[in-house]
Amino acid sequence: MSTNQPKKRSQFVEIWQRLKRNKMAMVGLAILFILVLGAIFADVICDYDTMVIKQDIPNRLQGPSADHWFGTDEFGRDIFARIIHGSRVSLVVGIISVSIALILGGAFGAFAGFYGGKVDMVIMRVMDVFLAIPSILLSMTIVAALGTDLVYVMLAIGISSVPNYARIVRAAVMSVKDQEFVEASKAMGAGNATIIFKEILPNCLAPIIVQATLSVAGAILSTASLSFIGLGVQPPDPEWGAMLSSGRQYMRDALHLTLFPGLAIVITILALNLLGDGLRDALDPRLKQ
Amino acid sequence: MKKLLSMLLALTLCAGMLAGCSGSKNNTSSSSDTSGESKGSVIKVGVSSDITSLDPQNHNDTTSAYMTRHIYSNLVTLNDDNEFVGDLAESWEYVDDVTVNFTLKEGVKFHNGDVLTSEDVKYTLERLATSSKVGHLTKMIESIEVVDDTHFTIHMNTPSNALVSSLFHSGAGILNKAHCEALEAAGKEVASEPMGTGPYKFVSWTPGTNCVLEKFDDYFDESRKAQNDGIEMKIYLEDSARTIALETGEIDIMLKVPSTDAQKIRDNANLELSQVPSTWIEYMGFNTSKAPFDNKLVRQAINYAVDKASVVAVATENEGKPFDNYIGSAAIGYYDVVTKYDYNLEKAKELLKEAGYENGLEFTAILASDTRSKSATVIQATLAEIGVTMKIEQMEASTFYEECGNGTQQAYFAGWIANAEPDNTYRALWTTEGGNNYSHYANDKVLELVNIASTSRDKAEVDASYEEVLKIISDDAIWAPLYTLDNQIAYNKDLKGVHNSPIGMHNLYALHY
Amino acid sequence: MYKYIAKRLLMLIPVIIGVSFLVFFIMAMAPGDTAKAILGEDAPVESLEALREELGLNDPIPVRYVNYMKGMLRGDLGKSYKSGRPVFNEIMERFPATLELSFWGMVFAIVLSIPIGIISATRQYSLTDSVSMIFALLGVATPNFWLGLMLIIVFSLHLGWLPSGGNTDGFASLILPVITLGTGCMANITRTTRSSMLEVIRQDYIRTAKAKGVSKNKVINKHALKNALIPVVTVIGLQFGSLLGGAVLTESVFSWPGIGTYLVNSIKAKDTNAVLGCVIIFSICFSIVNLIVDILYAYIDPRIKSKYE
Repeated sequence: MSTNQPKKRSQFVEIWQRLKRNKMAMVGLAILFILVLGAIFADVICDYDTMVIKQDIPNRLQGPSADHWFGTDEFGRDIFARIIHGSRVSLVVGIISVSIALILGGAFGAFAGFYGGKVDMVIMRVMDVFLAIPSILLSMTIVAALGTDLVYVMLAIGISSVPNYARIVRAAVMSVKDQEFVEASKAMGAGNATIIFKEILPNCLAPIIVQATLSVAGAILSTASLSFIGLGVQPPDPEWGAMLSSGRQYMRDALHLTLFPGLAIVITILALNLLGDGLRDALDPRLKQ
Repeated sequence: MKKLLSMLLALTLCAGMLAGCSGSKNNTSSSSDTSGESKGSVIKVGVSSDITSLDPQNHNDTTSAYMTRHIYSNLVTLNDDNEFVGDLAESWEYVDDVTVNFTLKEGVKFHNGDVLTSEDVKYTLERLATSSKVGHLTKMIESIEVVDDTHFTIHMNTPSNALVSSLFHSGAGILNKAHCEALEAAGKEVASEPMGTGPYKFVSWTPGTNCVLEKFDDYFDESRKAQNDGIEMKIYLEDSARTIALETGEIDIMLKVPSTDAQKIRDNANLELSQVPSTWIEYMGFNTSKAPFDNKLVRQAINYAVDKASVVAVATENEGKPFDNYIGSAAIGYYDVVTKYDYNLEKAKELLKEAGYENGLEFTAILASDTRSKSATVIQATLAEIGVTMKIEQMEASTFYEECGNGTQQAYFAGWIANAEPDNTYRALWTTEGGNNYSHYANDKVLELVNIASTSRDKAEVDASYEEVLKIISDDAIWAPLYTLDNQIAYNKDLKGVHNSPIGMHNLYALHY
Repeated sequence: MYKYIAKRLLMLIPVIIGVSFLVFFIMAMAPGDTAKAILGEDAPVESLEALREELGLNDPIPVRYVNYMKGMLRGDLGKSYKSGRPVFNEIMERFPATLELSFWGMVFAIVLSIPIGIISATRQYSLTDSVSMIFALLGVATPNFWLGLMLIIVFSLHLGWLPSGGNTDGFASLILPVITLGTGCMANITRTTRSSMLEVIRQDYIRTAKAKGVSKNKVINKHALKNALIPVVTVIGLQFGSLLGGAVLTESVFSWPGIGTYLVNSIKAKDTNAVLGCVIIFSICFSIVNLIVDILYAYIDPRIKSKYE
């Protein structure tokens, strides 16, 4: 590995070439692409006021039809429209909470790994405390204390996965910090911050990207879990977990209320996992065939 | 390979540890297994929540009461004609407005063989007064004077019509003085060994799982003796799981039927659904001490803008009935005299304009249950059509009650199940003295009328006062009543002796195949 | 080795103090009036004030925390606000049910996942591999409460084979909750086993062994598996945390009378003492499992072992 620019670009091209050969990863990427497009153009596809929150009580709990592709919910609202708009919430919660975790955890991990010694000790002992609480329990406790606002849900999920990133980044930093190119940079008189951000972090991006892709999936699942036990996003906002949770009592007669939001979750997480796996393989040259 | 072996060993050790831990659970559940051997004669009852406590004075919820009502007996009971009759009490008579003489039945036995005496009653009622959960019920009792083993006198500090009905509350189940004092001396809780004069003896309670009772052979009243060998109350927190358990025969009877499953049960040839009008109502309440709902016109406008039929469809699968009254139709104290507000958006708009809100209005409604969230979501949509924006905030029950109590909320969604004493509804909900006056409604006339009704010995005067209260509050529109729901009980069609009480105090002793 | 275990056990103490500190302060931030939550809305001001004094709610938070910790040293986790009973007793009554579920969930996951992972790795890109990887991916992607509800619909309602909830029917009542709880873990462990096996198989010494003519099975069992197990053990340790968390949801779907259901109800009732007690107990369990994982680690990987001796 080296840090000079032309080589780096070709490295990305090479990774992309490898990723492209992985059919599963491309399927994942394609699904994600469609989901993101759907989320961006949700208002164009289905109007919020007339389709997402508009009630039609006489036509409640209708099965899938030409008018309502995924049927209607307990208020007679169009489930397809709500899933499209729900993808916004899920993706935003996923991305923001992972960003929170990534920024905080990455910073802690990088400092711990780079400085070692006491800094490492203190940071990692604090992380141990967080790690000692199963993450969904920590999120539940935070949401229970702060309230069931979307912002708190993102914060709770983000905070509870900070230690994971701290660990990964720390391990990655420790594994590269003694390598020649870092030594070289040090010898050239670069400051610590420069070394961390310019030399070390780019070189441990691989595990971070993989972890981030996978934990967006985890965050979406956690949001749904919190909603399921009544601590997540509140109705009438369309969120997959909340839809699943409110449709749960109609499962026996109107399975489509839980089936489609459930499938939306499964497909999104599947796509993220496929992409994450593909990225891991592509970023790890040892695995290339 | 050696390392693999040691790993396996370690895993086995963990397994051993875990198995050791779960051993203790098996002990407690074995008691239910043995009682299950006499199959068919132990009736399995499915309920939706766990017991809080088996100490009658340490709970105030229906699920715990299902069990404590069958372990303990009260002095009085309510017959099918909504009249109070003696249970442990043979008779009682008013000496004057504040003095009542009671006579106990002779030879009533506790489960341990002790005979009930007036001392047990005195002990129970004095202990009750110190209870934080149900002590408020009998605050009219000044003292209990024991005359002899079967005669005692209750002295009240104020005339009250609520004495007898309060003695019927599950909290007033009669305890055994010697037994309780022995438990307390040993540092144990009364709830750890429940023991009374009821038709069933306590066997076991595994929290979150089940509670088992066994028939008491020496029960004092032949006509109400258990017709089964025992009751196993099984807890299913999930509605659908409870229905499925009934369908698959895991339970014989289900005491609270989920609305989504009621029709399915009617359609099932092996099951029966019993329903009776209840005292349960659901309503949207307004905080009358706070803008915008300090304005009667706004409250009336919202009343006109509520589409009760749609609420009933969504929140109860049409099992409920749209309701205009402030107290359930099966309750003592129900009178059909209220002002009705039929769904009329034009009228609502006019009233809002008159109140100065023609350009719209925004407020927040708080609530604490999924079903109420559905009612609110329906109303939210119709209000939007007349330019009213209602924000819905769902919260935990404790936070909800705190906000309602402090009066920081604007509007709220709640329900009320009236018990056998109208004063517990009228005074509690609609007077400044009430602990549940979440509308923060202050009307001296209403308080005066409630005071008359609660002390007068003249039935006509009581009725007239309560009717007047209903007229005043419904005209003031302090709530928007939404719907009432029948008490529904579902059971195996071969099960006999099902009792469905309008106030949710179902008797289980007559159940048998 | 014993020194290492002793050291790790000692390290548990600051972690538990840290956990209790963290959870205590999070719960203290929560809005709501504890005294009113216990006594009810209609309680008179004097008794509310008396109760606050009795529970020490008027003390500053650090003082309350110190008092709580003092109690904890005596095995006293305070009283549940909801039932008035000692939290420790309430938790211990429910704990065995949760342990039973988690333990069998983990056994289910491990027993199925490791063989599947190994087979998939040794037959990379075969039909078996593809099918098992698709199932593993679906397993990871499926929310366990959703899976649980689907299983109830199929196996208890339509087929009537298994009970829909509770734990009174012995082994039969365990099957669905265990599958629900274990599937996610199983999928994760399968994937890790496969990828870690693949990685090891490609390494030089395996090639050398193969080149030396050692049989394929022997290569897998003797050389590859041992080294491939290290990340698998890590994942199992990590999965145990999500398993305990997943138990909360699984319990609520199957009305399983464990600590998870108790915790959710306590959170909703704002029963601070009960929540604290549950989270602390969960965390202690999780820490002990991590300790066991680290010890297993040391057994498997001599490099780690030598570091600690």
